[in-house]
Amino acid sequence: MLRLITFRLAHAVPILLIIAVLAFLLMQLLPGDPAVLMAGEGATPQAIQEIRQRLNLDQPLVRQLGTWLLHLAQGDLGSSLQLNQTVVSAVAERLPVSLSLAAISLLITVPAGIMLGVVAAYARDSWLDAVAMAVALIGVSVPTFWIAILSVILFSVTLGWLPSAGYVPLSEGFVPWLLALIQPAIVLALFQIGFLARMTRSAMLDVLDQDFIRTARAKGVVESVVLWKHAFRNTLIAVLTVVGYIFSLLIGGSVIVEQVFALPGVGRLVVQAVLTRDYPLVQGTLLLFGFIFVLINIATDILYLIVDPRVRYD
Amino acid sequence: MITATASQKSKKSRYLSILMGITALVGVSALAAPAQSQGKNAETIIYGNTAGPGTLDPFVGSSTVDLEVMHHIFEGLVGMDANYAAKPMLASKIDVAPDGKTFTFQLRKGVKFHNGKEMTAADVQASFERYRKLSPNASVLADVTEYSTPDPYTFIIKLSKTNAVFLDVLKSPVYPFVVLPAEQKDKPAREVDIIGTGPYKLAEWRKDSHLTLEKFDDYAVDTTGKPADGLVGKKEALVRNVRYRFMPEANSRIAALQTGEADIIANVPRDLVARIEGRPDLEVRRLLACQQYFIVNTQQPGTDTPEMRQAIRTAIGVDDIMAAISRPTKRSHAMTIPGGEYYNGDLNNQYYDQKNPKLAGELARKAGYKPGQKIQLMTTATYPEFRDAILVLSEQLKEAGIDSEVHVIDWATNAANMQSGGGNWNISSTQFCSNPNLGPQQWKFMVYNFPHVKNDGTLDAAYDKFYTSQDLADRKTAWNQIEKQVLDQAYMIKIADTGLIQALNKKRLPSFDDYYINRFWNVPLK
Amino acid sequence: MTDAALDFATDPPTWRHRAWKMAIRLFRHRSFRIGFGITLLLVVVATFGPLLVKTDPTAMQMRFRFRPPSERFLMGTDGFGRDVFSRFIYGAQLSLWIGLWVAVLSGIAGTFFGVLSGYVRAIDSLVMRVMDALLAFPPILLAIGVNAALGPQVHSVIIALSVSYIPRTARIVRASALVVRELDYVQAAKISGASGLRIVWRHILPNSIGPLLVQLTFVFAYAILAEAALSFLGIGPPPPTPSWGNIIAEGRDYAVEAWWIMLFPGIGISLAALGMNLLGDGLRDVLDPRLKIEG
Repeated sequence: MLRLITFRLAHAVPILLIIAVLAFLLMQLLPGDPAVLMAGEGATPQAIQEIRQRLNLDQPLVRQLGTWLLHLAQGDLGSSLQLNQTVVSAVAERLPVSLSLAAISLLITVPAGIMLGVVAAYARDSWLDAVAMAVALIGVSVPTFWIAILSVILFSVTLGWLPSAGYVPLSEGFVPWLLALIQPAIVLALFQIGFLARMTRSAMLDVLDQDFIRTARAKGVVESVVLWKHAFRNTLIAVLTVVGYIFSLLIGGSVIVEQVFALPGVGRLVVQAVLTRDYPLVQGTLLLFGFIFVLINIATDILYLIVDPRVRYD
Repeated sequence: MITATASQKSKKSRYLSILMGITALVGVSALAAPAQSQGKNAETIIYGNTAGPGTLDPFVGSSTVDLEVMHHIFEGLVGMDANYAAKPMLASKIDVAPDGKTFTFQLRKGVKFHNGKEMTAADVQASFERYRKLSPNASVLADVTEYSTPDPYTFIIKLSKTNAVFLDVLKSPVYPFVVLPAEQKDKPAREVDIIGTGPYKLAEWRKDSHLTLEKFDDYAVDTTGKPADGLVGKKEALVRNVRYRFMPEANSRIAALQTGEADIIANVPRDLVARIEGRPDLEVRRLLACQQYFIVNTQQPGTDTPEMRQAIRTAIGVDDIMAAISRPTKRSHAMTIPGGEYYNGDLNNQYYDQKNPKLAGELARKAGYKPGQKIQLMTTATYPEFRDAILVLSEQLKEAGIDSEVHVIDWATNAANMQSGGGNWNISSTQFCSNPNLGPQQWKFMVYNFPHVKNDGTLDAAYDKFYTSQDLADRKTAWNQIEKQVLDQAYMIKIADTGLIQALNKKRLPSFDDYYINRFWNVPLK
Repeated sequence: MTDAALDFATDPPTWRHRAWKMAIRLFRHRSFRIGFGITLLLVVVATFGPLLVKTDPTAMQMRFRFRPPSERFLMGTDGFGRDVFSRFIYGAQLSLWIGLWVAVLSGIAGTFFGVLSGYVRAIDSLVMRVMDALLAFPPILLAIGVNAALGPQVHSVIIALSVSYIPRTARIVRASALVVRELDYVQAAKISGASGLRIVWRHILPNSIGPLLVQLTFVFAYAILAEAALSFLGIGPPPPTPSWGNIIAEGRDYAVEAWWIMLFPGIGISLAALGMNLLGDGLRDVLDPRLKIEG
């Protein structure tokens, strides 16, 4: 196990390095001068030049990249240009919001998506299958922000059941925290449920066709045991892969939901940073996403080991 | 195929138990935390606006969202009263020498900063020096020859030239001339510690989420006998906290007010007020304190001749624009507000709302416009009223046979392009909220910089006359000339007086006074 | 021409015959039929609609602001008094156009990188590491970054979305390339002196086309949804040209009072994505039953 983790982490280093370089290059493509934006409306050329020097923006590109990588190697992600904050602290402030949202959303997605998928596969070609898959299809076809706005109109404006916007940290209580996040989490989960259900169904169909299922049924094993213990367990690897993928998407990719529900998550941080040409912040957060992506992949690998002892990483 | 061995199985259950343990811990600690609602609170006013401040460094802050927080935290030597006139704030007495070159400020005694130290003349001088070093507005201090502090409560500014309106310059609500502790002198722009002398201090600031102000218990209330007036006078924090919540979606802001999650909200789109007006406990407030303009880039090919700019102006009809922007609007051609010192009636209204696409087309052809040539319109989705005005403009130009192209970018870049002249734009739209109220000295910077006016002897001479005239009547004449030149040359094209709509909970905030910017002192909460 | 005999996979009569059989199998598939129907309908609307609709989608009539759907304005009007029906039709054109281009561009680029890495062993590792790295960025954030870099234009939206779907497409093509490369007849072609390009063209590409097509239908669906998301954030196709995304974005404040502005393009987007997803499901079942992850 330890060897696996070490191996995978070592393997991740070149990917992280490439992510770092890509993030750096992407920011260089952006038109617009961060120094002008920082100096504010009506700043003098001298003031702008001073900022440029202070941030090393006047250095050649390769030099800037080198400096950045060097600092990175020392664990220094630099400071945001706009926020008067280090990149690490800016992200640390936002991460709990994104993680909370992703976690609640995942907790809704996983049981719902798997149930839909398994039921659809089991009742293949029946009306139940058709209904389950129609629900899943709608989930992956309807634009998230459209549903988000309609949901606010219904549950917050018309019915007044749920807060319309804002985040309450967990330290202020479990119930307010949950209330603030439940609506965005469900909206976010709709797409993921559809996605997971479709994947689960096709993985289940593959397994249900196989000989050992027929053998089990012939032996008179109870249907529910066949379904969950024999069939579903054998799709766990595929399902886990999808869940891991969904989780990594949820952390950074929920910009839209964060915007509608005014949640101060990492997604909005990156969007703001891109728009204000906050180079260090964009680079730092993209690198962080890379890191989370790699971590989730490792966690998925470990879970493979747990759910399916046949998997070995020798 | 390898089957599971006993040891692997036990390993597996160990992981599971660890996982379950962690889950249980998180759950328990979460439940154990004190349940506290974010909603109604007797001690906290909750204010919902679209966005939060970009910076709280007063010397570089210019947008309303920055300023509406700053003036609770910081104070300057002078400030504006309800009629936008300069009145002493941290100064107790101001002497202006007859030549208009020396200004002596007596400071109020016992004024404390939020860090507990007393404010003295040394802090004032350090603040002015920092301002001159890094504020975008620093040029207004260019004529300062000397600061002096003969004693801790006296501060003297000497100028090289007569400036009849220097105190009006110092009252500027944009890039405010506030006093920071002397230790902040060498802090780079945007990196100051947020320490002022105001009735509220900064308690918490979470970008994209909220900002909380807390009552400053050692606040030195102005006891010189003046009642609260504009930003000056006797200010008292009557509540413990004010929480600014940043909610970009209009639907969410309105829902927050309706459900009691917010006590007051700003920027209610005009077409949505009906949702609030039906409720007896809620109240809609309309304020006309701003003006919206098209800014024309005089250095960009396509709009670099007065003839072409005038052709564009001729095509514009303001009624459709006013109908499209979701704000309260009022027709007005003037660059000042009715009732103000420099308002000049119908003097320059021939440039307003010309609405003549046919003539505009002819003028454009005469100015050398070739069909297919595209006028570049730059705007932002951050402020729908700017974007909507630009979209209507694009249609009105089309009617006059002038092609255009709309570019929607973020506001930061839009603003930066407007001030630098870069980014390849001919026309953009923006709104001014304090300049029209405050007068010519606050207009100068915008009038020259946004349209990038170069080599205009008429305008230069008029401004020169304005600054050196000690007599108000002469200054008014100078202003009439300035306004005429700006509108005639179509550096800026006036759309309308505009404002914003706020809504509040009458039961919670029974006596909240409107001003061009929101103030939360002397506001009781029920 | 030494390997002509081995080219049965692309032999013209056989090719046509196989395609015909494939089409019959596809049309027997229910999802495919429905998806094809929806997609065809939208394509017809987008292609011929603008020829039939007389109202200019950008023409403003302030006296008709916020009119509900009626005989005169089938889908009502927006805050500028513009005809939402006309905007919907023209918007369909732009939204589908963007979806199509994103599918085509990410298909071409993904195929290029996939084949390169699946066939040229020396750079496989490097190309795939770069693809993995790109995969680590959430697609919407990558699109926002690229879009900000290129400026607010329709083509930058297309390029931004294409870039974010290249890694997934490249992976799928690479996987087929790896399998095909080892097949006996491909090895035989190689031994008999066929050039690398020829092998790629004759063997690897035809064999990757199934999984690639399936992937591209899903990319098409995602691209339409992503265009709407970018518009919502204010960085989609620039106004006044309508796209489904920016019609919704401009009308979102009035979701209660003028529900029609948001409703119709929202249905349009959902239908288009639904149609492409169904089409993709059908293609997958018929062309490539083993394919599971579409991500």
